[in-house]
Amino acid sequence: MSSDIAIRAASLTKGFESYEQPSDRLKRSVLGLLGTLAPLPPLRRALFKRAQDCVRTFWALKGVDFEIARGETVGIIGRNGSGKSTLLQIVCGTLAPTGGEVETRGRIAALLELGSGFDVEYTGRENIYMNGQLHGLSRDQIDARLEQIIEFADIGHFIDQPVKTYSSGMFVRLAFAVIAHVDADILVIDEALAVGDAFFTQKCMRFLRRFQQTGTVLFVSHDSSAVRSLCSRVIWLDRGVIRETGEARHVCTSYFEAFYRQQQGEATSWASAEDLGESGSDIKAPAGLTRQPAQAQTADQRQRFIENAAGPGVTLTALDVDPHSLPTQRDTPLIESVELISEQGSPVSWVVGGERVLLRIRAKRPESGSLPVFAFFVKDRLGQPLFGDDTSLTSTGDNAALREAPAVEAEFVFDMPILPPGDYAFTALVLTEAAHVAGTIAVQDCVHDALIVKSESTSVTTGLVGAPMSNIALFVRDEVEQA
Amino acid sequence: MHSFSVSPRYLAASLVKNRRLMLDLARRDAVGRYKGSLLGILWSLLTPLLMLTIYTFVFSTVFKSRWGGGAAGTETASKGEFAVVLFAGMIMFNLFSECVSRAPTLILSHANFVKKIVFPLEILPCVTLLSAMFHLCVSVFILLVAEWLIVGSVPPTAFLLPVVLAPLCVFILGISWTLAATGVYLRDIGQTIGILITALMFLSPVFFPVSSLPERFRTFVYLNPMTYPIEQSRDVLVWGHSIDWSRWGIYTAIAVLVAWLGFGWFQKTRRGFADVI
Repeated sequence: MSSDIAIRAASLTKGFESYEQPSDRLKRSVLGLLGTLAPLPPLRRALFKRAQDCVRTFWALKGVDFEIARGETVGIIGRNGSGKSTLLQIVCGTLAPTGGEVETRGRIAALLELGSGFDVEYTGRENIYMNGQLHGLSRDQIDARLEQIIEFADIGHFIDQPVKTYSSGMFVRLAFAVIAHVDADILVIDEALAVGDAFFTQKCMRFLRRFQQTGTVLFVSHDSSAVRSLCSRVIWLDRGVIRETGEARHVCTSYFEAFYRQQQGEATSWASAEDLGESGSDIKAPAGLTRQPAQAQTADQRQRFIENAAGPGVTLTALDVDPHSLPTQRDTPLIESVELISEQGSPVSWVVGGERVLLRIRAKRPESGSLPVFAFFVKDRLGQPLFGDDTSLTSTGDNAALREAPAVEAEFVFDMPILPPGDYAFTALVLTEAAHVAGTIAVQDCVHDALIVKSESTSVTTGLVGAPMSNIALFVRDEVEQA
Repeated sequence: MHSFSVSPRYLAASLVKNRRLMLDLARRDAVGRYKGSLLGILWSLLTPLLMLTIYTFVFSTVFKSRWGGGAAGTETASKGEFAVVLFAGMIMFNLFSECVSRAPTLILSHANFVKKIVFPLEILPCVTLLSAMFHLCVSVFILLVAEWLIVGSVPPTAFLLPVVLAPLCVFILGISWTLAATGVYLRDIGQTIGILITALMFLSPVFFPVSSLPERFRTFVYLNPMTYPIEQSRDVLVWGHSIDWSRWGIYTAIAVLVAWLGFGWFQKTRRGFADVI
């Protein structure tokens, strides 16, 4: 196997054999063994036939071939029962394939099902040791990482309680914390991120995105947006065979097309395809209904700035910060508070979209004495940045005072977009423009998940965002307008 | 998943690689058993003491048994000495019964080790054995103290006990691997093993010396795999006799063969574990 390949599967098949009794499994093995030893062909055939009679076989995988290069992130999609989980289990080595073979290179860490391999009678701490050892860490290595693991899991005093007392969320937190710290080369994740709250999902996503830069990830999910946002390549499994493989967006689209076609064949209701997350864009507005374009009441404040202030020779470049490469450790905490306030002045913890909100970030002055720049962005539950802004184009007019003030407060007033229901996290940043050289910025402080806001929107049913509607009305018309 | 190697080298490598894990699991198993009880670890001391008292009472007072039956110098009179002799045999048998009675359900009770992670399943019988060895050590300590109090001296041959134990451990592992693997497919084994062990206890020379049996039965008693270790342990712990090396050699050879066959059977059948659990 070439050293660039992390996982290679060759004509992999898996038949699940169901037996009336467990002893039939043994009977089949023994008959099969006798069959191979039998001297006469007719006797051999008879024995093999008897062996086959003991079993009913369901083929979960019917010849799967693929190669995954080192450093690749590959998603596997497919409907329930298409063989996704079976494939992952075979890759991990917990299940033996019936035919074909799979080769893997490097240390595999798997999050197959909730709390895989935990002994529920043991405490969380003991399970960390046991799981770590099973992943090939020595005791000293685990000792050294214990604090990090416990901090990542963040389950408080439960770490010294037996795992059987854990909630499913705590279970997966601990499991993820362990596999995140075993120096795996290959990470196999099966639908594990669906549990756990928004803070933890964000943490996992941050870890995964960092891990992606060096390691190989095999990822199964029914969540198409997660697959598309994480994976470079997608394998679509359909009833045990690979239906399509290729670029994530492309394969996801054809998967949904096929899914839709089938759904429509079964029922015409669109509601039954709710979980698809998107599409349905071709629903046409009923004829005879005309809409006035909503009067623009607000405009981006930068337009005003650009129109009025931008003279010749001034280049206006908003800061270009890569949200995935932000530090996770706060070396010098500067940000003191981050709050989201409604027009009425009360803190906002949930939004429906369209409401005017004020985000206030308060921070100490950076030590360097350079001009502080505040920034924020909002991420969805997968850690994908959705929108954000910064103060690089804003000033109080007195830069000297800004440089010297002990603390600075930045306010962003904006209309909350309409977002699909779910949790959204705000990341707050304080940066400095190093020596006023455009483009060279330094992150002074960064608070991930400074705020979590729940979108309770009901108006985004099929799209990724909704537009605030100023007015929706119906009018009765007596005449038919002639075209 | 490749097929599993049956070679002793693979086994040795696995045991060395997972030694910490085995020790952790064994300690957990031995000590954790008393978790939540008031007396805690004291139970590992109390249980053998209570058993010893009961057996001594029943056999020496109720049944009025006498240890002896011909062999010169083995006639004992006092109940205390009877207890010591009985206990030496019981210790060995308990090691066997503790491991073997748990073996058939060993894999079944660790289903998540089979289905959810890649676990070195072959170490599970070793974990049980290590945990049972802990109880054996406690019991041997009690025995030696009791011997010192009752008889007044402990024979120096007691140091040979590990040599007597070694082949027994190998033998127990072989039986455990066989039963653990088979128990996954044939659940009935878990039900019948208790009866078999009780039967074997009364057929083993725990409560009587082999020499008390009529000549024609002795051959059959020696076919019992527990006869040799029980007799030999009494020799070194109580009577102060050294090891009968020729018998020791034969027993070791058989034990190694049983262990290798058991391990081979375990490795050959484990591919199917995940299919039926």
